[in-house]
Amino acid sequence: MTLYLVRRFAAGILLLLALSMLVFFLLRLAPGDPISSYIDPMASMTEADMERLRQSLGLDQPLPFQYVYWLGEALSGDLGRSLQRNGQPVLDLLSTSIGPSMLLMLTGSTLAIIFGVIIGIVGAVRRDGPVDLTLAALSSLGVSSPAFLTSLVGLYVFSGVLQWAPAGGMQDPGMPFTVSGLLKHLALPALILAFGQTALIARYMRSSLLEVLHQDYIRTARAKGVPGRMVILKHAVRNALLPVVTLIGSTLGLAVGGAIFIESVFNWPGMGLLMVTAVEARDYPLIMGGTLMVGAWVILANIMTDVAYAFIDPRIKVG
Amino acid sequence: MTVARFLPDMKSPTGRALRRFVGNPSAMLGLALMVAFLLVMFIYPAVSAIGPNSIDLLAINKPPSLAHWLGTDGVGRDVFARLLEGGRVSLLVALTSSVASLVIGFAVGAVAGLGGRFADAGAMRAVDVAMTLPPVILLLVLASITGPGIGPTILVISLLSWPVLSRLVRSRLLELGQRDFVVASRGMGAGLGSLIRRHALPNTIDILVVFVTLQVANAILLEAGLSFLGLGVPPPDASWGNMLFAARSTTVLTNYPWQWMFPGLALVVVVLAINFIGDGLRDAFDPRSEGG
Amino acid sequence: MRFKHFMTAALMAGIAYGAGMADAVAQDAPTRLVGGFDVGPGGFPNNVNPLLATTGYMALTLAYEPLVIYDEKIEKVIGRLADSFEIAPDGLTYTFKLSPEAKWHDGEAFTSKDVAFTLDLARNNASGSVYVARLATITDVATPDDRTVVLTLSQPNSSLLDTLTKLMMLPEHKLASIPADTLARNEYWITEPVGTGAFRFKQYSPNQFIEYEAFADYRRGKPKIDQLVNRYFKTPAAAVAALKAGEIAVSYVEADDVTNFQSDDAFRVIEGKSQVVNYLGFNFAAKIWDDQRVRAAVMYALDRKTIVEQLYGGKATVANCGYTAERLVPSDLEAYDYNPDKARELLKEAGWDQINGAKPISVLTYYNNDQSNNVVAAMQAMLAQVGINIAPRVADMAGYNAVIYAKPIDPSQFQLVYAGLTNGPNPGNLNIGLNGAQIPPNGSNYTRVDIPAVSEAFNAGLKQTTAEGMDKSYRDVCSAMNKELPWATLWETKRYGVESVKLKNMNWQPAPGGGPYEMHQETWELEGN
Repeated sequence: MTLYLVRRFAAGILLLLALSMLVFFLLRLAPGDPISSYIDPMASMTEADMERLRQSLGLDQPLPFQYVYWLGEALSGDLGRSLQRNGQPVLDLLSTSIGPSMLLMLTGSTLAIIFGVIIGIVGAVRRDGPVDLTLAALSSLGVSSPAFLTSLVGLYVFSGVLQWAPAGGMQDPGMPFTVSGLLKHLALPALILAFGQTALIARYMRSSLLEVLHQDYIRTARAKGVPGRMVILKHAVRNALLPVVTLIGSTLGLAVGGAIFIESVFNWPGMGLLMVTAVEARDYPLIMGGTLMVGAWVILANIMTDVAYAFIDPRIKVG
Repeated sequence: MTVARFLPDMKSPTGRALRRFVGNPSAMLGLALMVAFLLVMFIYPAVSAIGPNSIDLLAINKPPSLAHWLGTDGVGRDVFARLLEGGRVSLLVALTSSVASLVIGFAVGAVAGLGGRFADAGAMRAVDVAMTLPPVILLLVLASITGPGIGPTILVISLLSWPVLSRLVRSRLLELGQRDFVVASRGMGAGLGSLIRRHALPNTIDILVVFVTLQVANAILLEAGLSFLGLGVPPPDASWGNMLFAARSTTVLTNYPWQWMFPGLALVVVVLAINFIGDGLRDAFDPRSEGG
Repeated sequence: MRFKHFMTAALMAGIAYGAGMADAVAQDAPTRLVGGFDVGPGGFPNNVNPLLATTGYMALTLAYEPLVIYDEKIEKVIGRLADSFEIAPDGLTYTFKLSPEAKWHDGEAFTSKDVAFTLDLARNNASGSVYVARLATITDVATPDDRTVVLTLSQPNSSLLDTLTKLMMLPEHKLASIPADTLARNEYWITEPVGTGAFRFKQYSPNQFIEYEAFADYRRGKPKIDQLVNRYFKTPAAAVAALKAGEIAVSYVEADDVTNFQSDDAFRVIEGKSQVVNYLGFNFAAKIWDDQRVRAAVMYALDRKTIVEQLYGGKATVANCGYTAERLVPSDLEAYDYNPDKARELLKEAGWDQINGAKPISVLTYYNNDQSNNVVAAMQAMLAQVGINIAPRVADMAGYNAVIYAKPIDPSQFQLVYAGLTNGPNPGNLNIGLNGAQIPPNGSNYTRVDIPAVSEAFNAGLKQTTAEGMDKSYRDVCSAMNKELPWATLWETKRYGVESVKLKNMNWQPAPGGGPYEMHQETWELEGN
């Protein structure tokens, strides 16, 4: 197990390294002089000053050297400074926005997993019944509705028309922090994030359960006279959940994509909003840092999935 | 199902697949919706005098009426005309980028599958890296480099969508590589090029057809998402994404819902229709996945 | 299972983050005012350094004070940190008597040394100050005693007092040890800044809010508001939603939203002249606007009258030069009435096809609301009719500044700007954007207008020492602008604010750049809180 983990993490780190290389070289293709990302536009600087800075940053060196320099700085915890927002260190900006993002994504994904599994079970048990068909239609809709559209509709209905939910943000700013205030702001974006993912998980759970229900040991159990409901809950669901676990990993990865839109519609102070504003402002140091952070998150989510999978492997449990 | 009866009884695999496809009600529904939409999209501009970009400051923010079926936007442009124009732009972006990623994905997959161990390892590591990031993030990074525009949007989406296809093509070809005839043709000195033409292409055509269909839907969503963030198709060109962009303002969202609801609806319906067609094609090529 | 543990831990981390953000817990119900002081075109969200302020003065004057300030009606300059001031008849010597009770938020006394220090910093390019060129006529700053400051000028400067209203006094004892060239984005501004104003900095959360508390030792009396939060919004529309929800008590609002509040008893609507002229600024560094006929074509191509009537609902005045005030507008101006044919003709004569043709022209703007999005879309359609294709890009104030002041300058990023500049109460305010002497790094003429006739007209205006002389000079500026078209001048709009009826004594006004003007921050009250 330990060896497996070490191997997995080593591969993850290599992947992250490759990713940083890719993004670094891509961003150097961007128009404009890279030196400008190190200069405060408000600070005064002569041509000679700029040339000195260019040399001290190694920007006059060939690209691979620049990458190594950047990597060295990054490894020592310096991802550079943002070009906007008072030149704050990129790492600070990232670390303040990662909490809200995690909160949103984990809440959304947890809801999606719960709903998805339940819906999937109902769909499989009552196969082709009215519930199944409705769910199938809804899940088709879920897959085809982009997060930004569902966010807009959600905002329109629940915040605009019904006035149930606040129009955005993470808490009432300046008000003392309360858990209820946070939940009030969290509910709508998290549900919308869950909506798109529920469809995927439900589909997967349904087909996985159907497959299991056709397998021999279930038939045997049934033949032995175990009541149908028990069979489904005790044996089938547990085994059907197995492949679904792999999906959860990619769901956590996918959540990042959806969260970008949801965060920007709901003004949720997370990574997505940060990335979008960084891209709008062409804030390359922040784009670079944010991309790496998201990449690390996705890689980690995949490793976690694999580990979880190894833990609940039926060959260990069903003995 | 009734249509299927009129088809010639073809014994070839393609023929059987076609019969299954035609017999699939949701695929047929998707096809019908798409055809209807395409017809309206191309016929309407020919018969209507209202252009998608012509402003009318004397008729701004008007709700749907006989003169403007879906109302007007903040500078008096006709929402229906823009919606159809947006459809043309979205489909143009989606089709072009899907074909481009088809070519890249197939080429990489074919080289990996047929080109030997080193080519395989290299290509697959590239795929791994490209698949690490959620597409939207990579999309953002690329868009920040290229800037907005129809051309860059196509480029960005094409560069992003091929890895899945490469994996599919590769695994099919690895399966195939074991077969005697490929070994035989290699032995007879056939080059990589002719292997791809003679064996890879015909044996993966089903994967390619399904991929390109589903990818069109996917690309429409990516384009809309990018434009929604203001990084895709820039105004005055219409696209469903940048029409939805307007709804990021509360006033438009709550007071002028026709300006964003109809493009949103069009987006969902078209994506749904294409997904139906794509799923139908997949089921038709691979009957095992049916009802799965 | 480790997976589960991780999920729990991550969830807890998220919640802990939220809890950490608000360490202020209500004790005996202090009065807490949350407002949007940096909303709309007069705001500058996230700007915490007064030396970089081009707008956003309303928020800055919460914690800082200038020597002198505009009065309650934004007409006349009166003393603030200076109890009194005197200008010699020749206009070359300014003497300020400082308030003896003024204190910094950390308890240190405010003295003439701080004034001298601030003026030195503001005239030093290295600090990033945007006031360098505006203060260039000052040759000497003398401090005969702790309460007296004497400025000596090389030539009369009718805009100096106006500039001094915008210059917030900074503490020498805090800043002297920080090298000027690292000051622009220094941590100091968001960790321990001190001012002399009614409210003391407490904490800053990027893009979210900045929080203050009452300064108990404020010389004009302890503020009645105990805690004050200036909340940031991405768009004015978001601020309007917060206003309606009762989350904030005051904000700038867009004209479109005014009707929603007029019928609501819980709010007061305030209307005022913006004193800001909107324009399309030709970036002369882009080298496509050098021919005056091209610039005139832009003017003829735009149907400004219809835009004002329809998109602004008539709440704006078409501007044919930088001014709309009657006393500053000569009667013989060219009106540039909508005439696309003439525009096409002028473009053809100028050889537009060779200069740029159909290539997209980047337009940068910081106006980010429905109304201006629509205005831009309308201008885009109108200009396209005559063969000028513009590609607008909206940035926030910080992003806008990053582009226009980028080093090295990249004119392809902003071949045009859609912006506004204060044209009142002192008409000399336009100087900073139009005088050749104000081209960066000296000033904020970032579109690099260098038209001798315009620069000379401004120079003459700045040297005037009487009101009549100023008016006459600025009429000349108006004529030169109308003829040479350094900008395609558009209009001057009305602007609006909305405040909760619970809010008392604020005297909110749509001041250009947000002020600064006398708001008596210490007297603000919030009922039923």
